[in-house]
Amino acid sequence: MLRVRNLKAAYGKIEALHGISFHAERGEIVTLIGANGAGKSTTLKALMRLTPPESASVTAGDMEFDGISILNMDAHRVVSDLKMTLVPEGRHIFGNLTVTENLQLAAWSRKKSNVDEDIRHIFDIFPRLAERAKQRSDTLSGGEQQMLAVGRALMTQCSVLLLDEPSMGLAPLIMYDMFRTLKKLNADGLTIIVVEQNARLALQVADRGYVLDTGEIIAEGSADELLKKPEIMAAYLGA
Amino acid sequence: MDVFLQQCVNALQWGSFYALIALGYTLVYGVLRLINFAHGDIFMVGAYIAFFVSTMFLSPEGMFGLSRETTLALTIPLTMILTSLVGVSLERIAYRPLMRKGAHRLYVVITALMCGLILENGNLALLGASRKTLPVLLEKNIHDFGGIAVTNLKLWVILAAVLVFFFLHFIVTQTRMGMAMRAVSWDRFALPLMGIPLDSVVVFTFILGSGVAGLGGMLFAMSYPVLEPYMGAMTGWKAFIAAVVGGIGDIRGAFAGGFLLAFVEIMVAAFLPSTFRDLFAFSILLLILWLRPTGIFGKPLTTKI
Repeated sequence: MLRVRNLKAAYGKIEALHGISFHAERGEIVTLIGANGAGKSTTLKALMRLTPPESASVTAGDMEFDGISILNMDAHRVVSDLKMTLVPEGRHIFGNLTVTENLQLAAWSRKKSNVDEDIRHIFDIFPRLAERAKQRSDTLSGGEQQMLAVGRALMTQCSVLLLDEPSMGLAPLIMYDMFRTLKKLNADGLTIIVVEQNARLALQVADRGYVLDTGEIIAEGSADELLKKPEIMAAYLGA
Repeated sequence: MDVFLQQCVNALQWGSFYALIALGYTLVYGVLRLINFAHGDIFMVGAYIAFFVSTMFLSPEGMFGLSRETTLALTIPLTMILTSLVGVSLERIAYRPLMRKGAHRLYVVITALMCGLILENGNLALLGASRKTLPVLLEKNIHDFGGIAVTNLKLWVILAAVLVFFFLHFIVTQTRMGMAMRAVSWDRFALPLMGIPLDSVVVFTFILGSGVAGLGGMLFAMSYPVLEPYMGAMTGWKAFIAAVVGGIGDIRGAFAGGFLLAFVEIMVAAFLPSTFRDLFAFSILLLILWLRPTGIFGKPLTTKI
């Protein structure tokens, strides 16, 4: 469904991705793992068609969604037409809006008839958000903000969800909760591409994984295979 | 006491002009973090558009030859629409391409300054140095409130500013577009991820800001009917300072700042030599900023990890 071929991307003159290729199929959880600066976030932002000054510019290669190149698409079209969106690193919730307003705003490009129903559905997934519905979202804890960021992304009615470091800054229990929820959403049909530094955690929920190192993919395989490779374990899984 | 109350009415009228301009600064700043220094000149353009539109409709030799009332009723919306078009064009031609190329905000601000100068001098080149006079669109009536004389025009100006305030407040707090405007002011990066085209929000903001400035320009020209190309420069600067003192990015701040500045100016001029006016006015504003660097309604931005 999603196919990236020889993608190169650069921040000005500095190339961050040196021609990476990977793919994701519907219903999968795919993870990109690697150290800081490996190009994981750049890859997700490129998929979302975020351009400078927000991200790197794509200099070569192609990205296809269901066989159609998305290189010339605007970011908001990726969301509205392809039904793919990103939960960015650092969450980027709208702190001056209430929790409910954050969710309402994310329904911008979709059918409006069942927005309230969908908000109730998000509150079922994350009951903590229901308790905070009327609160300004910058008063939420880090874990609650991450729930809101995911809930807000789901409000776009996306079928493909990209997540950038969803575990960052979360307490272990909340982190496991979040990944359990992602696994559940995936079981309901959501395709997930997740970037993680916490490689072990990511590989435990993912079907397949790619290992990025300084802008190149140096290993790929099923999650189980990657977890068993000693050199990957040593370099990226801290084992 | 009567003198004081009389001056209060004048201050409310001047405050209305400042507020109507300050709003445009504050809206655009909220959405783009850009100080649109051409905005004072958009106010001037509004006054000229009102001049051309009303003259065209009113002139007995012209093809319309309408009555004053009809002309006024038509000039208000047309001035607002045409002025917004000028504001939107500036965004499209000057600011957007620069921002697309990732230019530092400083360059965009300088570009805005240049756009203002281009509007002033373009006007000078096209229309010449002779001053234009707006035709009378509203029969002057003086109401007497217990010894305080208030013209009907003054009342309309103040009423217009108040209505605009409530209208914009409604847009920003109650509508989807307003919600998006508030969202961008907090986090520009995440907006497209919600499927929202940033450009639409920006264009809408310029339409609101410029339309309101156009209305301000028209009301100003009705109150002081002599038009000249530089009329927006000083007034625009003052309105910008008013927006900052009120807390730029907050529409309540634009109003508070606008009325505060007008109040100080008018009172200094009324009770002290008028040459002291700007010196005192800006010293007081400086003091306010010294005490509250983010302005009266401004809040420092904080992020939570």
